[in-house]
Amino acid sequence: MVKIVTDSCSGITPELAQEFGISVVPLYVQFGNEVYRDNVDLSTREFYQKLEESKIAPTTSAPGPDVFAEFFTRLAEETDEIVAIMLSQMLSGVYVAALKGKTMVTKDCRIEIIDSTLAISAQMLLVISAARMARSGDGLDQIVDWVRKAIPRIHIQMTFDTLEYLRKGGRIGKAQAFLGSLLRVNPILTLKDGLVYPVARVRNRTKAIDYLVDFVRRLSRIEAMAVEDVTTPEDLEILADRLKGLVSPENFYRSKVDPVVGVHVGPRVLAACVLEAE
Amino acid sequence: MRTDLASGPMLKKMFALGTVWLEKAGPDINAINVFPIPDGDTGTNMLLTMQSAMEEANQNQNRSAGSVAKSMASGALMGARGNSGVILSQFWRGLAKGLEGKKSFNGTDFAKALAEASQAAYEGLVNPVEGTILTVLKDAATAAGVSAGTDSGSLLSVMETAIEAARDSVARTPDLLPVLRESGVVDAGGQGLYVLLEGALYYLKGKAKETKYRQPRLIVADLPLAPKTTQMTTEVEVPYGYCTNFVVEGKKLNPQKIKNKLRKKGQSLIVTGNDSLIRVHMHSFKPGEILDYATHLGTLHQIDIRNMDDQYVEFIKMQRERMPKVDIAIVAVAAGDGLFEVFNSLGSTIVVPGGQTMNPSVRQLLQAIESAPSDNIILLPNNKNIIPTASQLESLTVKKVKVIPTKTIPQGIAALLAFNYDLSLEDNVHGMEETIATVRTVEITKAVRRTQLNGLKIKRGQFIAILNDEELIAKGNKTPGLIFEALVRADIEGAEMVTIYYGAETQTTEAEEIAQEIRNRYQTEVEVVHGGQPHYDYIISLE
Repeated sequence: MVKIVTDSCSGITPELAQEFGISVVPLYVQFGNEVYRDNVDLSTREFYQKLEESKIAPTTSAPGPDVFAEFFTRLAEETDEIVAIMLSQMLSGVYVAALKGKTMVTKDCRIEIIDSTLAISAQMLLVISAARMARSGDGLDQIVDWVRKAIPRIHIQMTFDTLEYLRKGGRIGKAQAFLGSLLRVNPILTLKDGLVYPVARVRNRTKAIDYLVDFVRRLSRIEAMAVEDVTTPEDLEILADRLKGLVSPENFYRSKVDPVVGVHVGPRVLAACVLEAE
Repeated sequence: MRTDLASGPMLKKMFALGTVWLEKAGPDINAINVFPIPDGDTGTNMLLTMQSAMEEANQNQNRSAGSVAKSMASGALMGARGNSGVILSQFWRGLAKGLEGKKSFNGTDFAKALAEASQAAYEGLVNPVEGTILTVLKDAATAAGVSAGTDSGSLLSVMETAIEAARDSVARTPDLLPVLRESGVVDAGGQGLYVLLEGALYYLKGKAKETKYRQPRLIVADLPLAPKTTQMTTEVEVPYGYCTNFVVEGKKLNPQKIKNKLRKKGQSLIVTGNDSLIRVHMHSFKPGEILDYATHLGTLHQIDIRNMDDQYVEFIKMQRERMPKVDIAIVAVAAGDGLFEVFNSLGSTIVVPGGQTMNPSVRQLLQAIESAPSDNIILLPNNKNIIPTASQLESLTVKKVKVIPTKTIPQGIAALLAFNYDLSLEDNVHGMEETIATVRTVEITKAVRRTQLNGLKIKRGQFIAILNDEELIAKGNKTPGLIFEALVRADIEGAEMVTIYYGAETQTTEAEEIAQEIRNRYQTEVEVVHGGQPHYDYIISLE
């Protein structure tokens, strides 16, 4: 069976990883000299608690090619086909590290690394679909072909309370257009061509949630959908309640932003994303 | 690897990686170079300076940190290029002084050396300017000093703190230096220094490998990334002259004396070095005179003279290529410094001054449209009387102009916020027009003459409240009573968000008091914003 691999910024929570048999390579969060593996040594809740208490600003890093080489080599004992669906290479070095790691694997195993050009639950929708295909017996070529074609059918919108974290971490991308606002606004952003892009701005959280709901409702033929929060489970439920009727329950997922992405987005981010049917 | 103490070879390796890291960032740094001259070479100059420093360091087999730093300082001095390069060589001079006689250095030593470096950088300049590499270095040094004093003083923690401070400092440079703010960039030299130190830190942390498949990230300031029309249309009006660099070798040279002699002969003068070797950098229209003077001091080396006007032309070309082309530009009309800033900060490409009793002419609006960096324009008139003028523009230009019929400032702001970067011009026009109905506007103003409105007699000097720029909803003395009567008429109960733009004649405290009273009485968020508009004491938006 094809083994599906992703990174910890894909919105795949440890529970989802287990449910779908997905192997997750963690990135790292550092508070000074303390290094934590994303979602392994540090949960989102623990991370935000630490963020409030710590005087040191956390930083993040990607595992090196050697880590991937070892990871793939280990997986190659159970399978001879691996598909790795990675975080946008415009946002992290993890994709390139995986590519290099692949070249260091000596075992006989086909490995395909895909730059999802996405992140968080948008990336997750690809990963879960790929895992479902693998389970139903599809081969590497079929899965890779499907994933590449599905990327443009993924739509995501996210609302932020502040863009300060994106700015500081250097991942603000084209949403830089929304910086410096003299009015209090809740920006709505998306991912496009691997980068963070601006969409629009609303005046408060309630309107932001309305905006996300409208965004999903305007899309037709929803194949799968995910909602994701960081520190606001109540808002996640409000959003989930308003959207869940639009898709069958088994294709509706709840996700949580991992600590590494958390470093770059800050608290209170809320996202909705959709995989449109072909 | 030890991260608490560094020897000479370690220092070399740290900054060898720093130099490689800087090289990767070079083109990005060149692209944001606007001060003191927008010639687009800061990244290159800093890199060449560092490469010269590293060459000299690699010749030195001594294991002591002090000795290696000294080699780097002399290499940097010999190879320094341009303004930022010479300042960087000053940095090395100070750092070498701070590490003098040390076999290895810890966090406390590094903090002291940074303080020396900061001081040396300021000393080399005739007119130090804040918001540049100088400020970044100073802030890094200060933070390092604090960190060395409180923490264990480990080199790693001091460097991390210093670099974090440098990053924040780079992000603040546009606040200190207006030309950066206007150009929407951070200081290039400061960015370069940050990248160099960041690279060195990667080595110290044992992450040299990681840098191979990574790119340095440019620091982003808290500024909107809007295309700057001024920069795009500015022609070279004032020539910049020649960037003149050379080294003098001689005996008993006196940097201070040379500085005094040259200071009137040009700009951006930096003189640095010791009594036998001195580097001079300056911008001048007569480089010949400067060289002539210098030949009397000793022998000249590494003479490098560049025509900065040529460099500027190249720079503008590069800028145009790198400029984010906007699909749709938004032109808004507003009066008052605060509202001007609000529209700018929310992404209007151009704000044309105008409003009640001062309607802009067709010509003014047309000029704004022609100079906007896009062929698709959305125009927000924000006043009933300007809409007819605006509507004529569509036939006067080859550009595609769409007028959103916004009658008030809050309508214009609501439309601007609803602008969706992902949609086409037509879809945006539709979406923006729709939002006009979601906002109610209450304007509080003084009647300039006796009049009749909606069948109500108004005396001259009486205050009136107008809803959506058409319906008189209250009149009387200018009291909170009048304002609240108007707000109730405008259905404040149904509003989630109230924004108060107070005018040029209104006190902030008065606006804040009204806001607090609204919060006390109603379940709504209230924001107070300085509008600075004439005529209207208040423009209030209810959403």
